[in-house]
Amino acid sequence: MGNISIKLLGKRLRNPVLNASGTLGYGIEIEPLWGIETLGAYVTKGLSIKPHHGNPTPRVWEERHGMINSIGLQNVGVDRFFNVYFPFFKKKKAPIIVNFFGFTEDEYIACAEKIKPDRLIAALEMNLSCPNIKAGGISFGKEPRMVFDIVKKVKAVTKIPLFAKLTPEVRNIVDIARAACDAGADGLTLINTMPAAGFDAKKKNIPLKGGLSGPVLKPIALRAVHECSKAVRVPIIGVGGIMDAMDAVSFFMAGAKAIQIGTATFVDPYAIPKIIKGVADYLDANGYKKIDDIIGTAHER
Amino acid sequence: MDDIEGKVLSNRAIAPGYCLLRIRLSRSMGAARPGQFVMMKIPGEDIFLRRPFSIYDYQKGVLTIMYKVVGKGTERLSKTPKGASILTLGPLGRWFTVNRSASPVVVAGGIGFAGVYSLIKTLRGNSSIFFGCSAINEISLLKDAMRFHPLVATLDGSYGFKGNVVQLFKKHLKGLKDKNVEIFTCGPDNMVKSLKQLIEPYKIPCQVLLEERMACGMGLCFGCVKKTTDVQEPYKRVCKEGPVFDLWEIFL
Repeated sequence: MGNISIKLLGKRLRNPVLNASGTLGYGIEIEPLWGIETLGAYVTKGLSIKPHHGNPTPRVWEERHGMINSIGLQNVGVDRFFNVYFPFFKKKKAPIIVNFFGFTEDEYIACAEKIKPDRLIAALEMNLSCPNIKAGGISFGKEPRMVFDIVKKVKAVTKIPLFAKLTPEVRNIVDIARAACDAGADGLTLINTMPAAGFDAKKKNIPLKGGLSGPVLKPIALRAVHECSKAVRVPIIGVGGIMDAMDAVSFFMAGAKAIQIGTATFVDPYAIPKIIKGVADYLDANGYKKIDDIIGTAHER
Repeated sequence: MDDIEGKVLSNRAIAPGYCLLRIRLSRSMGAARPGQFVMMKIPGEDIFLRRPFSIYDYQKGVLTIMYKVVGKGTERLSKTPKGASILTLGPLGRWFTVNRSASPVVVAGGIGFAGVYSLIKTLRGNSSIFFGCSAINEISLLKDAMRFHPLVATLDGSYGFKGNVVQLFKKHLKGLKDKNVEIFTCGPDNMVKSLKQLIEPYKIPCQVLLEERMACGMGLCFGCVKKTTDVQEPYKRVCKEGPVFDLWEIFL
C-alpha cells in the first residue's frame, strides 16, 4: 500500500484524512465501529470557554443532496473536554486538532489560552463563522479586517499551530484567506457549511436555518481550495461534501494537504476508513508513491 | 452493533398507512433490547440520510420493523420490493429497563406500539397493556399482542373504548395508582403530554420512548436532542442517552 502519511506543520500524521468538527461527537462514540486512531487526527467538536447548550429542535433537515444543521455549537466547554475526553486520546496516543469558537474576541482569546501545548495536539482550528456579538452579530469571518484582527490576537496567545476555518459566505474567499495568513495563521480549513434554510411542505413553514453540508457543497469547497491554495503558501485542509475516495483525490489535486469528512459519516459510518483505504489504493493504482505527488497537480494547466 | 446488509423478505401493508417490513440480515447484529432502534439506509439515491426505526422484533437473523408512512423516506421504503438490499446500523440507543419489583403497565398510541412491542413480548403477558388508535381498521397493528389481552381505545369508538388511550387508562388509574407500578410508554407527543399530566400527582415511575429527526443515530452529530432537567447539559441525544428516557426528566 502506498504511503499516505503526511507532515502537517511539523507533525507526522498517519494519513491526510480527518473528520470535520462536530461530525464525530467527542470521538468515543465511533469506537464500536472503528478506532479513532484510524484518522490522521481527530478534530474536536467546537469548544468554547464556557459550555453551550445549543439550539432547540429541529436541528437537522434533509435536502436532496445534503443536509442543513442548526446544532447551535452545543459543547461541554474546553475545560470539561480536557478533563473528561482528552485522556481517551492520550491513552490511545491519537493526535487531535482542537476546534474552538467564541462570540467575542475575548472568548476566542480565553479559549486559545486555555489550551496548553501537548504532544498530541497537532493544531488548533478556529471557527470563524460565529457571529461577533459586539459587532452587531456579523460573522467574524466575513470581513478581511475582522479576520486579520481576531487571528492576530489569537496567534499572540498560543504556541500551537493555528488553522483558520473560513466561511464560504463571503465576497471573495481569497481576500479572507490572505487576511488570515497575513495575521499569522499557519494553515486554512476550507470551507465551513453554507448558510441555508429548510422548508417543511407539510407545515408550510421554515423549520430551521442553518449550515448546508453534503455533496451539494462539494464544488463550492473545491473552488475555494483551488483558488486559495494558489494564492497562499500555508497548508490547506479541504472540507465540504467529500463522499468517497475520488472526491478526496479531487481535493488533493486542487491543492489540499489534508481533507475532512463530515456528512458522509452520517450516510455511511464507515465512510472515513473506506476513504483512507480508497486514497491509498488510488495512489497504488496510478503509480504514485506518496500523497504529496498528487497535491496541487490540478494547478498546472 | 454494526452496519449490516440485509435482504427484504417481505414488506406489506398491515393497515391503511402502516407496513410491516421483514429483513434477513447477512449476519447477527448482536442482542437487541426492548426500545432499541436501527438506522436504515433506504434504497434509492433520492433519500440522502438514514432513517431511525424501532426494532419491532429480531430473532433468528430476521429483523422486523413496523412503520407508518409519514413522509418521503417511509413512502420510499413502502415501495421497496422483496429481495432488495437494505443496510441497517444497530442495535442503537438505551433500552427500557424493567424493575422486577414493580408491575409493568404499557401505554401506546398508534405507531408507538412498534416501540413497545418487543418489551411486551419480553414481559410475556406479565404487563397491563393500553393501546389507542383512530379506528378499527388499525387494530391489525396489535395482531401479535392480542394474546396478551390489551385494552383498546379507538377515537371513533369502532372498537373497544371510545376515546383516546389516556382517557381509557384514566378509568383504570384508580386501581393502579396505589400499587407499585411502572409505566412504559410510546406514542404521539400529545398522548405522552396528557399521560404525564394525568399521572403527575402520583409521580408514577414512567419510561418514555421518544422520537426525533436524526442524522447519524449514534451520537455523532447532536442533531436529535430533547431538553431534560439536567441543568449542566439540558439537551440530551435521543439516539445516545435515549431513545428511552425517564418521563420525569424530560420537557415535552
